[in-house]
Amino acid sequence: MNLGQALFMGLLQGATELFPVSSLGHAVLIPSLLHWSFKQSDPSFLPFLVLLHLGTAGALLFIYRTEWVAIIRGFFAAAFRGRIESPPERLAMLLMVGTIPAAILGVFLETRIKSLFASPYVAAGFLVVNGLLMLGFEQLRRHAERRAALESKPRVEQEENFAEAERITFRAAALVGACQALAFVPGISRSGVTIGGGLLAGLRHQEAARFSFLLATPVILAAGVLEVPQLFSGGVPVGEYIAGAVLSGAAAYVSARFLLRYFRSGRLDPYGWYCVAAGLVSLGLLALHL
Amino acid sequence: MKSTPVALGFVILAVVFLVVAALYALGVLQIFASTSGPHIKHAILFAVLAVASLIAANFTREKVV
Repeated sequence: MNLGQALFMGLLQGATELFPVSSLGHAVLIPSLLHWSFKQSDPSFLPFLVLLHLGTAGALLFIYRTEWVAIIRGFFAAAFRGRIESPPERLAMLLMVGTIPAAILGVFLETRIKSLFASPYVAAGFLVVNGLLMLGFEQLRRHAERRAALESKPRVEQEENFAEAERITFRAAALVGACQALAFVPGISRSGVTIGGGLLAGLRHQEAARFSFLLATPVILAAGVLEVPQLFSGGVPVGEYIAGAVLSGAAAYVSARFLLRYFRSGRLDPYGWYCVAAGLVSLGLLALHL
Repeated sequence: MKSTPVALGFVILAVVFLVVAALYALGVLQIFASTSGPHIKHAILFAVLAVASLIAANFTREKVV
């Protein structure tokens, strides 16, 4: 992999990890469509992915740095007290409950699922499925808005009628967390399914995105840190990889800022339509061997 | 749900998870592992589950006021 490819992959990973469009799907599809010679399944590619994920996790930690301090303090306070007394303590426990199913499924199933579905055709097909899921989540939200007689109100007012992340139930947090495992399938977006899960649980769009990003941080960080020894294996072009990781972190930072602003009144629909279109176009290009 | 038997159940579960974590770390346990040898990821996961079980035990035990 040359420097240009490393920077491109860093930018792609950082941007698509947080947008509900599947980073893994894009990482499988785009090199294949560009006829790049490196293989994602190659062992030397793993250290690169590790660094890219650490870049993304670093950006998320930076954005939510003050919140994470409150969450960590809240976690220890509630854990030792055996009782939740404040919103940060509740959020800390919700994140723990949401992270456990993702961690269990990740440790036991991630490698198997990824190797089973690591084909550009499968990634393109599931990108279409991901798009339909996003559109479906929004349809269900619109039903909820109609039930609450909110359809004639401005978007910001509609959103105010839904809850903040701290109000989600523990059962919903566990379900949203478990949904993250779907993202091991290339084409299915981790942030997409968790934001969608948050919407189904009655959260505002912006709060669903915030919960999704907070939920992602420990998982992405742990997955990256646990693979750090891979970086010290021989033949790793460290300079190119680090440059890609820095760009990945910068792209993730800009993406997260954009999405949090966008979801004040925006919906998942544009990303849903993008995934459907990108998946169908990719399937066409792959079928025609272009 | 505050109940001493439930809290005790979580403590027992935590001990089981710790034992499983140790067995994975030592490479004795190979269930759900793709390669042979120690499995640090699996060991860390079960250690985290043990901590979560202890927290659950603390939440469910009856508090003395």
